[in-house]
Amino acid sequence: MTGHHSNSEIAVRVRRLEERLIGAGLTSDDQLDGIIGQILSGSPANGARVVARAWVDPAFRERLLVDANRALDELGLSMSTGPQPQRLTVVANSATTHNVLVCTLCSCYPIGLLGPSPSWYKSEAYRSRVVREPRAVLAEFGLVLPEATEIVVHDTSAESRHMVLPMRPGGTAGLGEAELAALVTREGLIGTAAV
Amino acid sequence: MAEPRFAVGDRVRARAVDPSHHTRLPRYARGQVGEVVEVQGTWPLADDRAQGFAEPRIEPVYTVRFPAGALWGPPGGHWVQVELWESYLEVVA
Amino acid sequence: MSRINDVGGQSGFGLVAVEPDGPPFHADWEARVYALNVAMLRRGVYNLDQFRDAIERMPPAEYLAASYYERWLVGVESLTASAAPELRPDDG
Repeated sequence: MTGHHSNSEIAVRVRRLEERLIGAGLTSDDQLDGIIGQILSGSPANGARVVARAWVDPAFRERLLVDANRALDELGLSMSTGPQPQRLTVVANSATTHNVLVCTLCSCYPIGLLGPSPSWYKSEAYRSRVVREPRAVLAEFGLVLPEATEIVVHDTSAESRHMVLPMRPGGTAGLGEAELAALVTREGLIGTAAV
Repeated sequence: MAEPRFAVGDRVRARAVDPSHHTRLPRYARGQVGEVVEVQGTWPLADDRAQGFAEPRIEPVYTVRFPAGALWGPPGGHWVQVELWESYLEVVA
Repeated sequence: MSRINDVGGQSGFGLVAVEPDGPPFHADWEARVYALNVAMLRRGVYNLDQFRDAIERMPPAEYLAASYYERWLVGVESLTASAAPELRPDDG
Protein backbone atom coordinates (compact mmCIF):
# COMPACT_ATOMS: atom_id res chain seq x y z
CA MET A 1 0.00 0.00 0.00
CA THR A 2 1.30 3.43 -0.82
CA GLY A 3 0.59 6.23 1.60
CA HIS A 4 -1.25 9.45 0.95
CA HIS A 5 1.81 11.55 1.65
CA SER A 6 4.64 11.68 -0.84
CA ASN A 7 7.88 9.94 -0.02
CA SER A 8 9.80 13.21 0.07
CA GLU A 9 7.33 14.86 2.47
CA ILE A 10 7.62 11.91 4.81
CA ALA A 11 11.39 11.81 4.50
CA VAL A 12 11.48 15.42 5.70
CA ARG A 13 9.24 14.60 8.65
CA VAL A 14 11.45 11.66 9.58
CA ARG A 15 14.57 13.79 9.39
CA ARG A 16 12.97 16.38 11.67
CA LEU A 17 11.95 13.70 14.16
CA GLU A 18 15.41 12.21 14.08
CA GLU A 19 17.06 15.58 14.72
CA ARG A 20 14.70 16.27 17.59
CA LEU A 21 15.32 12.91 19.29
CA ILE A 22 19.07 13.08 18.79
CA GLY A 23 18.98 16.67 20.07
CA ALA A 24 17.08 15.51 23.14
CA GLY A 25 19.87 13.03 23.85
CA LEU A 26 17.61 10.00 23.35
CA THR A 27 19.60 8.39 20.55
CA SER A 28 22.50 8.99 18.21
CA ASP A 29 23.38 8.50 14.55
CA ASP A 30 25.70 5.65 15.49
CA GLN A 31 23.01 3.88 17.45
CA LEU A 32 20.50 4.22 14.62
CA ASP A 33 22.98 2.89 12.06
CA GLY A 34 23.74 -0.01 14.38
CA ILE A 35 20.06 -0.90 14.76
CA ILE A 36 19.57 -0.87 10.99
CA GLY A 37 22.63 -3.07 10.54
CA GLN A 38 21.28 -5.53 13.10
CA ILE A 39 17.87 -5.84 11.51
CA LEU A 40 19.35 -6.32 8.06
CA SER A 41 21.47 -9.17 9.41
CA GLY A 42 18.25 -11.06 10.08
CA SER A 43 17.31 -13.10 7.05
CA PRO A 44 15.12 -15.99 5.94
CA ALA A 45 18.45 -17.77 5.36
CA ASN A 46 18.70 -18.06 9.16
CA GLY A 47 15.38 -19.85 9.30
CA ALA A 48 16.39 -22.04 6.36
CA ARG A 49 19.51 -23.17 8.26
CA VAL A 50 17.37 -24.16 11.22
CA VAL A 51 14.97 -26.10 9.00
CA ALA A 52 17.74 -27.94 7.14
CA ARG A 53 19.34 -28.97 10.42
CA ALA A 54 15.98 -30.25 11.69
CA TRP A 55 15.54 -32.28 8.50
CA VAL A 56 18.88 -34.05 8.86
CA ASP A 57 19.05 -34.36 12.66
CA PRO A 58 15.95 -35.83 14.36
CA ALA A 59 17.29 -35.08 17.85
CA PHE A 60 17.78 -31.43 16.93
CA ARG A 61 14.25 -31.38 15.49
CA GLU A 62 12.94 -32.65 18.80
CA ARG A 63 14.83 -29.99 20.76
CA LEU A 64 13.67 -27.31 18.32
CA LEU A 65 10.02 -28.16 18.81
CA VAL A 66 10.39 -28.23 22.61
CA ASP A 67 12.54 -25.11 23.14
CA ALA A 68 13.29 -23.24 19.95
CA ASN A 69 15.33 -20.46 21.55
CA ARG A 70 17.76 -22.98 23.02
CA ALA A 71 17.97 -24.84 19.70
CA LEU A 72 18.84 -21.55 17.94
CA ASP A 73 21.76 -21.12 20.36
CA GLU A 74 23.23 -24.36 19.05
CA LEU A 75 23.46 -22.80 15.59
CA GLY A 76 24.76 -19.47 16.84
CA LEU A 77 21.45 -17.78 16.04
CA SER A 78 19.21 -15.74 18.31
CA MET A 79 15.90 -13.93 18.57
CA SER A 80 17.42 -10.84 20.13
CA THR A 81 18.40 -8.57 17.24
CA GLY A 82 14.93 -6.96 16.98
CA PRO A 83 13.25 -4.47 19.31
CA GLN A 84 13.41 -6.91 22.24
CA PRO A 85 14.42 -10.54 22.83
CA GLN A 86 11.58 -12.83 21.85
CA ARG A 87 10.37 -16.32 22.60
CA LEU A 88 10.21 -18.49 19.49
CA THR A 89 7.83 -21.39 18.93
CA VAL A 90 8.40 -23.65 15.94
CA VAL A 91 5.36 -25.47 14.56
CA ALA A 92 5.92 -28.49 12.34
CA ASN A 93 3.95 -29.33 9.22
CA SER A 94 3.13 -32.99 8.66
CA ALA A 95 1.36 -35.15 6.12
CA THR A 96 -1.91 -34.29 7.87
CA THR A 97 -1.38 -30.74 9.24
CA HIS A 98 -0.33 -27.46 7.64
CA ASN A 99 0.51 -24.39 9.73
CA VAL A 100 0.31 -20.77 8.64
CA LEU A 101 1.19 -17.61 10.58
CA VAL A 102 -0.46 -14.22 10.88
CA CYS A 103 -0.82 -11.29 13.25
CA THR A 104 -4.35 -9.94 12.89
CA LEU A 105 -3.85 -7.11 15.41
CA CYS A 106 -0.60 -5.65 14.08
CA SER A 107 2.30 -7.36 12.33
CA CYS A 108 4.18 -9.55 14.85
CA TYR A 109 6.85 -11.63 13.11
CA PRO A 110 10.14 -13.30 14.14
CA ILE A 111 11.99 -10.24 12.90
CA GLY A 112 15.05 -10.91 15.07
CA LEU A 113 15.70 -14.16 13.21
CA LEU A 114 14.20 -13.64 9.74
CA GLY A 115 14.63 -9.89 9.24
CA PRO A 116 11.81 -7.53 8.28
CA SER A 117 8.59 -9.22 7.20
CA PRO A 118 7.32 -9.03 3.61
CA SER A 119 4.83 -6.27 2.75
CA TRP A 120 1.99 -8.70 2.09
CA TYR A 121 2.33 -10.12 5.62
CA LYS A 122 1.58 -6.65 7.01
CA SER A 123 -1.31 -5.96 4.64
CA GLU A 124 -4.93 -5.73 5.79
CA ALA A 125 -5.84 -8.15 3.00
CA TYR A 126 -3.67 -10.94 4.41
CA ARG A 127 -4.35 -10.19 8.08
CA SER A 128 -8.12 -10.06 7.66
CA ARG A 129 -8.55 -13.05 5.38
CA VAL A 130 -6.12 -15.81 6.35
CA VAL A 131 -7.82 -16.48 9.70
CA ARG A 132 -11.18 -16.85 7.98
CA GLU A 133 -10.44 -18.44 4.59
CA PRO A 134 -6.90 -19.86 4.70
CA ARG A 135 -7.45 -22.24 1.80
CA ALA A 136 -8.45 -19.43 -0.53
CA VAL A 137 -5.52 -17.25 0.57
CA LEU A 138 -3.00 -20.10 0.26
CA ALA A 139 -4.33 -20.87 -3.22
CA GLU A 140 -3.56 -17.28 -4.21
CA PHE A 141 0.03 -18.00 -3.20
CA GLY A 142 -0.08 -21.06 -5.43
CA LEU A 143 -0.35 -23.50 -2.54
CA VAL A 144 -3.27 -25.88 -2.99
CA LEU A 145 -3.50 -28.35 -0.12
CA PRO A 146 -5.33 -31.69 -0.19
CA GLU A 147 -8.86 -31.43 1.24
CA ALA A 148 -7.90 -33.84 3.99
CA THR A 149 -5.02 -31.64 5.23
CA GLU A 150 -5.93 -29.90 8.47
CA ILE A 151 -4.96 -26.21 8.49
CA VAL A 152 -3.95 -24.46 11.70
CA VAL A 153 -3.75 -20.66 11.53
CA HIS A 154 -1.59 -19.17 14.30
CA ASP A 155 -2.61 -15.63 15.25
CA THR A 156 0.44 -14.17 16.98
CA SER A 157 -1.49 -12.11 19.51
CA ALA A 158 0.91 -12.17 22.50
CA GLU A 159 4.68 -11.94 22.87
CA SER A 160 5.78 -15.26 21.36
CA ARG A 161 6.85 -15.41 17.75
CA HIS A 162 6.48 -18.41 15.47
CA MET A 163 8.17 -20.12 12.58
CA VAL A 164 6.89 -23.00 10.47
CA LEU A 165 8.99 -26.11 10.00
CA PRO A 166 8.02 -27.28 6.50
CA MET A 167 8.07 -30.94 5.49
CA ARG A 168 11.22 -32.11 3.75
CA PRO A 169 10.47 -32.42 0.04
CA GLY A 170 10.68 -35.84 -1.59
CA GLY A 171 13.68 -36.70 -3.75
CA THR A 172 16.15 -34.86 -1.53
CA ALA A 173 17.81 -37.85 0.11
CA GLY A 174 21.19 -37.17 -1.50
CA LEU A 175 21.39 -33.48 -0.56
CA GLY A 176 23.66 -31.99 2.09
CA GLU A 177 22.52 -29.53 4.73
CA ALA A 178 23.49 -26.40 2.77
CA GLU A 179 21.73 -27.67 -0.35
CA LEU A 180 18.63 -28.44 1.69
CA ALA A 181 18.69 -24.97 3.25
CA ALA A 182 18.72 -23.46 -0.24
CA LEU A 183 15.33 -25.09 -0.91
CA VAL A 184 13.62 -23.26 1.96
CA THR A 185 11.84 -19.98 1.20
CA ARG A 186 10.63 -17.18 3.45
CA GLU A 187 7.07 -18.11 2.46
CA GLY A 188 7.75 -21.68 3.55
CA LEU A 189 8.75 -20.40 7.01
CA ILE A 190 5.48 -18.42 7.27
CA GLY A 191 3.36 -21.22 5.82
CA THR A 192 2.21 -19.63 2.57
CA ALA A 193 4.40 -22.05 0.60
CA ALA A 194 4.98 -25.78 1.09
CA VAL A 195 8.75 -25.31 1.56
CA MET B 1 1.66 -14.26 38.84
CA ALA B 2 0.27 -17.27 40.66
CA GLU B 3 -0.05 -20.78 39.32
CA PRO B 4 -1.79 -20.95 35.94
CA ARG B 5 -5.52 -21.27 36.43
CA PHE B 6 -5.94 -23.38 33.29
CA ALA B 7 -4.18 -26.48 31.98
CA VAL B 8 -3.72 -28.04 28.56
CA GLY B 9 -6.99 -29.64 27.50
CA ASP B 10 -9.22 -27.24 29.47
CA ARG B 11 -12.13 -25.65 27.66
CA VAL B 12 -12.17 -21.89 28.15
CA ARG B 13 -14.28 -19.01 26.95
CA ALA B 14 -12.73 -15.75 25.78
CA ARG B 15 -14.50 -12.96 27.58
CA ALA B 16 -17.17 -11.05 25.69
CA VAL B 17 -15.70 -7.67 26.56
CA ASP B 18 -15.03 -4.55 24.52
CA PRO B 19 -12.46 -2.44 26.33
CA SER B 20 -11.79 1.14 25.28
CA HIS B 21 -8.04 0.70 25.86
CA HIS B 22 -5.46 -1.32 23.92
CA THR B 23 -5.98 -5.06 24.22
CA ARG B 24 -4.62 -8.19 22.59
CA LEU B 25 -7.90 -10.08 22.62
CA PRO B 26 -9.01 -10.06 18.97
CA ARG B 27 -12.65 -9.18 18.39
CA TYR B 28 -13.36 -12.41 16.49
CA ALA B 29 -12.43 -14.56 19.52
CA ARG B 30 -14.58 -12.72 22.07
CA GLY B 31 -17.28 -14.87 23.63
CA GLN B 32 -15.99 -17.97 21.84
CA VAL B 33 -15.11 -21.32 23.42
CA GLY B 34 -11.79 -22.95 22.68
CA GLU B 35 -9.33 -25.44 24.11
CA VAL B 36 -6.03 -24.68 25.82
CA VAL B 37 -3.22 -26.31 23.82
CA GLU B 38 -0.21 -24.70 25.52
CA VAL B 39 0.65 -22.79 28.67
CA GLN B 40 3.35 -20.40 27.48
CA GLY B 41 4.69 -18.89 30.69
CA THR B 42 3.99 -15.47 32.16
CA TRP B 43 4.05 -12.00 30.61
CA PRO B 44 3.04 -8.51 31.71
CA LEU B 45 -0.55 -7.88 30.64
CA ALA B 46 -0.54 -5.88 27.40
CA ASP B 47 -3.57 -3.84 28.45
CA ASP B 48 -1.75 -2.62 31.58
CA ARG B 49 1.53 -1.98 29.77
CA ALA B 50 -0.22 0.07 27.10
CA GLN B 51 -1.62 2.33 29.80
CA GLY B 52 1.83 2.86 31.25
CA PHE B 53 1.06 1.22 34.61
CA ALA B 54 4.20 1.04 36.72
CA GLU B 55 3.32 -2.46 37.89
CA PRO B 56 1.40 -4.25 35.14
CA ARG B 57 -0.25 -7.51 36.14
CA ILE B 58 1.95 -10.50 35.31
CA GLU B 59 -0.20 -13.31 33.98
CA PRO B 60 0.06 -16.70 32.31
CA VAL B 61 -0.45 -16.63 28.55
CA TYR B 62 -2.23 -19.56 26.92
CA THR B 63 -2.41 -20.78 23.36
CA VAL B 64 -6.10 -21.45 22.77
CA ARG B 65 -7.41 -23.32 19.75
CA PHE B 66 -10.78 -22.38 18.27
CA PRO B 67 -12.66 -24.31 15.54
CA ALA B 68 -13.12 -22.03 12.55
CA GLY B 69 -16.77 -23.04 12.22
CA ALA B 70 -17.49 -21.54 15.65
CA LEU B 71 -15.76 -18.26 14.74
CA TRP B 72 -17.06 -17.75 11.23
CA GLY B 73 -19.89 -20.19 10.72
CA PRO B 74 -19.92 -22.84 7.99
CA PRO B 75 -18.02 -24.34 6.30
CA GLY B 76 -15.30 -24.16 8.98
CA GLY B 77 -12.75 -26.92 8.57
CA HIS B 78 -9.65 -25.26 9.99
CA TRP B 79 -8.36 -24.19 13.38
CA VAL B 80 -7.35 -20.76 14.62
CA GLN B 81 -4.90 -20.60 17.52
CA VAL B 82 -4.80 -17.39 19.52
CA GLU B 83 -2.49 -16.44 22.39
CA LEU B 84 -4.45 -15.04 25.28
CA TRP B 85 -3.61 -13.64 28.71
CA GLU B 86 -5.35 -15.31 31.65
CA SER B 87 -7.65 -12.39 32.39
CA TYR B 88 -9.06 -12.65 28.86
CA LEU B 89 -10.41 -16.11 29.72
CA GLU B 90 -13.12 -17.62 31.89
CA VAL B 91 -14.10 -21.14 32.89
CA VAL B 92 -16.65 -22.87 30.69
CA ALA B 93 -19.41 -24.06 33.00
CA MET C 1 -14.75 0.16 21.11
CA SER C 2 -12.85 -2.10 18.76
CA ARG C 3 -10.13 -0.35 16.87
CA ILE C 4 -9.28 -0.21 13.21
CA ASN C 5 -6.20 -2.42 13.62
CA ASP C 6 -8.37 -5.41 14.69
CA VAL C 7 -9.08 -6.70 11.18
CA GLY C 8 -9.24 -10.49 11.65
CA GLY C 9 -12.18 -11.78 9.63
CA GLN C 10 -13.18 -8.43 8.11
CA SER C 11 -14.15 -8.38 4.48
CA GLY C 12 -13.40 -5.88 1.76
CA PHE C 13 -9.59 -5.68 1.72
CA GLY C 14 -9.27 -7.53 -1.55
CA LEU C 15 -6.69 -10.01 -2.74
CA VAL C 16 -3.28 -10.34 -1.11
CA ALA C 17 -0.70 -8.48 -3.17
CA VAL C 18 2.20 -10.91 -3.06
CA GLU C 19 5.64 -9.38 -3.46
CA PRO C 20 7.91 -12.42 -3.21
CA ASP C 21 11.31 -10.76 -3.15
CA GLY C 22 10.47 -7.29 -1.92
CA PRO C 23 13.29 -5.35 -0.28
CA PRO C 24 13.05 -5.09 3.53
CA PHE C 25 12.74 -1.32 3.35
CA HIS C 26 11.40 0.52 0.31
CA ALA C 27 13.03 3.85 1.19
CA ASP C 28 15.78 5.10 3.52
CA TRP C 29 13.24 6.86 5.70
CA GLU C 30 11.51 3.55 6.45
CA ALA C 31 14.73 2.14 7.88
CA ARG C 32 15.27 5.35 9.91
CA VAL C 33 11.77 5.19 11.38
CA TYR C 34 12.29 1.54 12.23
CA ALA C 35 15.57 2.40 13.97
CA LEU C 36 14.13 5.40 15.84
CA ASN C 37 11.36 3.23 17.23
CA VAL C 38 13.74 0.49 18.35
CA ALA C 39 16.01 3.09 19.95
CA MET C 40 13.10 4.58 21.92
CA LEU C 41 11.90 1.10 23.01
CA ARG C 42 15.38 0.09 24.16
CA ARG C 43 15.77 3.32 26.07
CA GLY C 44 12.40 2.81 27.73
CA VAL C 45 10.92 6.08 26.46
CA TYR C 46 7.82 3.95 25.93
CA ASN C 47 7.06 0.25 25.65
CA LEU C 48 5.86 -1.89 22.76
CA ASP C 49 2.22 -1.86 23.86
CA GLN C 50 2.22 1.92 24.18
CA PHE C 51 3.61 2.02 20.65
CA ARG C 52 0.89 -0.32 19.35
CA ASP C 53 -1.71 1.72 21.23
CA ALA C 54 -0.51 4.96 19.65
CA ILE C 55 -0.95 3.48 16.17
CA GLU C 56 -4.33 1.92 16.95
CA ARG C 57 -5.66 5.29 18.10
CA MET C 58 -5.17 6.77 14.64
CA PRO C 59 -8.49 7.79 13.07
CA PRO C 60 -9.57 4.80 10.94
CA ALA C 61 -9.49 6.68 7.64
CA GLU C 62 -5.95 7.89 8.33
CA TYR C 63 -4.83 4.45 9.49
CA LEU C 64 -6.08 2.84 6.29
CA ALA C 65 -4.61 5.55 4.06
CA ALA C 66 -1.17 5.39 5.70
CA SER C 67 1.57 3.02 4.60
CA TYR C 68 2.97 0.63 7.17
CA TYR C 69 6.00 2.70 8.21
CA GLU C 70 4.00 5.90 7.98
CA ARG C 71 1.94 4.49 10.84
CA TRP C 72 5.15 3.86 12.73
CA LEU C 73 6.15 7.46 12.14
CA VAL C 74 2.84 8.65 13.59
CA GLY C 75 3.40 6.37 16.59
CA VAL C 76 6.94 7.57 17.34
CA GLU C 77 6.01 11.22 16.77
CA SER C 78 3.05 11.10 19.12
CA LEU C 79 4.89 9.22 21.88
CA THR C 80 7.89 11.56 21.81
CA ALA C 81 6.02 14.83 21.32
CA SER C 82 7.26 16.13 24.67
CA ALA C 83 10.92 15.28 24.01
CA ALA C 84 12.63 18.52 23.03
CA PRO C 85 16.26 19.18 22.26
CA GLU C 86 18.26 19.96 25.40
CA LEU C 87 19.02 23.65 25.73
CA ARG C 88 22.73 24.34 25.66
CA PRO C 89 24.03 27.38 27.57
CA ASP C 90 24.87 29.29 24.38
CA ASP C 91 21.33 28.83 23.11
CA GLY C 92 20.47 31.68 25.45
